[in-house]
Amino acid sequence: MSKRILIVDDEEVIRKFLKIHLDKLGYEVTEAEDGEKAIEKIGRGDKFDLIICDVMMPNKNGWEVLKEVKSNPELNGIPIILLTAKNDDVDIFKGYELGANYYITKPFTKDQLLYGLKLMF
Amino acid sequence: MILVYFLLLLLFVMKEQDKKKIILLLRWGAIIVTSYLILLGRGKVADPNLSHLLVLGYIISNLVLTFCPSSWLLNPKFFYPLVLGDTGIILLGMYLSEKMVTDFYLAFFLIIIFASLSRSFKLLMFIGGATSLLYGFLLYSWGLLISPEGSSYALRIPFIFIMTAFYGYLVQTLTREKHKELSISEDKYRGLFENANEGIIILKDPSLQIADVNREAEKTTQYPKEELLGIEIFYLFGAEENEKAKSYLKEVMGKGEGRVDDLPLRKRDGTFFEADLSIKRIGLGEESFFQMIFRDITEKRKLERKIIESKRNLEAIFDGIGDQLSIQSPDFEILQVNKSVIERHATTFTGLNGRKCYEAYYQKTSPCEGCPLLVTIETRQPASAILKFPEAERVQEIFSYPVSDEKGKLLYLIEYVKDVTEEQRLQEQLIQSEKLAGIGILASGVAHEINNPLSGIIGMAEVALEEEDPTKNRGYLTDILTCGQRIGEIVNGLRSYSRTAKRGDLGATDLHEVLETSLKMVQLATQSVSVEVIKNFQPVEKIKANPGEIQQVFTNLITNAFQAMNGKKGRLILSSRSLKDFVEIKVSDSGVGIPPQYLNQIFDPFFTTKKMGEGTGLGLNIVYRIVTKYEGTIEVASTEGVGTTFTIKFPKWRQGL
Repeated sequence: MSKRILIVDDEEVIRKFLKIHLDKLGYEVTEAEDGEKAIEKIGRGDKFDLIICDVMMPNKNGWEVLKEVKSNPELNGIPIILLTAKNDDVDIFKGYELGANYYITKPFTKDQLLYGLKLMF
Repeated sequence: MILVYFLLLLLFVMKEQDKKKIILLLRWGAIIVTSYLILLGRGKVADPNLSHLLVLGYIISNLVLTFCPSSWLLNPKFFYPLVLGDTGIILLGMYLSEKMVTDFYLAFFLIIIFASLSRSFKLLMFIGGATSLLYGFLLYSWGLLISPEGSSYALRIPFIFIMTAFYGYLVQTLTREKHKELSISEDKYRGLFENANEGIIILKDPSLQIADVNREAEKTTQYPKEELLGIEIFYLFGAEENEKAKSYLKEVMGKGEGRVDDLPLRKRDGTFFEADLSIKRIGLGEESFFQMIFRDITEKRKLERKIIESKRNLEAIFDGIGDQLSIQSPDFEILQVNKSVIERHATTFTGLNGRKCYEAYYQKTSPCEGCPLLVTIETRQPASAILKFPEAERVQEIFSYPVSDEKGKLLYLIEYVKDVTEEQRLQEQLIQSEKLAGIGILASGVAHEINNPLSGIIGMAEVALEEEDPTKNRGYLTDILTCGQRIGEIVNGLRSYSRTAKRGDLGATDLHEVLETSLKMVQLATQSVSVEVIKNFQPVEKIKANPGEIQQVFTNLITNAFQAMNGKKGRLILSSRSLKDFVEIKVSDSGVGIPPQYLNQIFDPFFTTKKMGEGTGLGLNIVYRIVTKYEGTIEVASTEGVGTTFTIKFPKWRQGL
């Protein structure tokens, strides 16, 4: 059974090319356009093997998604890759402190994404 | 005979009114006697008619005296003609009479002369008595008393005394009335003396013992009168000043008067008070005194010293002020300057005094443009302005204050000149560096924003490169194009922002345009997608400012607003409206608000509640500096958890200013 990945980003084009790449790699991809929708989807009981999440988003941002997932004992095992334009050290450290498993800064290449996936699985 | 003497004796014991009656009675008696004597001498008298005339004259004179008011007797205009008249009558009698009559009249004539000269009733009565007796003795020695007309001769003796008494009475009345007048004026003097506001001490001349003191002198010295009377005045000067007092008093005694204000006088309790005293020699009757008038000037001296001291302090402050201060007349004439002015213009006070300030300070022929003194002259209110003097390469902040009299008439202008050249330079530098820091923060925000479409371009390009189906590539390329265009927009926004920022000159600034650019820039930088922006713009006038600086103000305020809403849902309201002389801009957010204890610190430099790297702590300080630089005001109202509103007012742009 293929692994299920949730992509959360408010930029449609980013979700689009991520899905193309991940589809090709044989993952089952679900998209969410903001943090709120992502939480909804996770809460509905869909079991995800990985969440790739943007930070700056309307409604609920990446930090909040991260906090909610990691503070939920049933969900905190799901690895999360933060994908963000925020590339200051402070932001990266904050991400790891909140329990992010990996941190990819925008803009990124396919290779950088693949390296992240390799680390997760 | 005996009756006559009895009446004379009565004169001494009788009341005033009765005296006049007795005197007149006696005088009438004397006239009858005279008439009798003349009649007796009939045949010897050359002209009997003239002798009748003589008696008639005397009768008239007596009638006048009988019915005249008493006050006439006091009047020299009445008294002396009476005496002259009497003398004339007697001289006529002498002319008319033979020897025996003449000697009588001669004696009588002497009495009148005595009466005119002597003011003493007793002396006159004595002379009168002596003359009567002498005359009696002469008559006796001449053997006339035992002659056949002896009785008529004997009558002449009391007659002389009667006339003496008459004149004596007149003289006495006169003296008494004079005395009465004197005593009235003495009462007046006593009143003045006792009620004077100044201490008065009367000193005997030359012993300088105290003869009298008034109430004020008792009060001032605290000595009761009885303790002062008789003591020497030196006692009141105290031992230390005794030599000085002696030499002063010696001088006064020589000159007859003198004044001194540095001789302290002693009080009963041993303390001294400073006195302003003047001494003058006065004559009272036959005696001579010194009248010493003094006033306690301790309080006055204290006040004087205080005034001098405060004047000295003020002068020290005036000169100690490092900025230039000058006091000028309303037509710009320099009246007084402090040391800084003299040093700054390398001159002396005389080099400036009376010259017009614009001539002396700025080498101009008319008041400087924008001078706040002109405003103060017009409005009577303090004013200030920052004036640039390019020729001297100086910037000066000039404050002017009016000094008016109680009717509001402008008396002086105080011009306070603060050289702010360096301060201005530093401020410009600070504004510039904060601008750079602000741009840095914004730029990193904008860079983040670019990263999203850039990621899209890179990602989609990689997808397109791998795609084997060329028909799908069209869609990918469209995405790449869209992302590229978005980056283009961001860069354009950045450029328009920096374009405004670069416009460094003062000019008519459109606040709406600057607000829009600033908002766009901040939105790009903060990616605050969840904030709703409401613009309540009303048509407003332009202001005179450097657009770059105004942009700095708005960018700071809008950035703060976004940060206050902290990426959460919120509302930013930008509003503008035109007031009478001002244009008002409001920036309101629905953010966390400012805790009340910070409200009065937010404009302080380096005050920040933000984390390192998020803010310089200079933002609002710079906002404040820029707003006040353009004579605007900024106010803040904030409620924690509800939001914050900044209200800025800029003066409208007026042509010619």
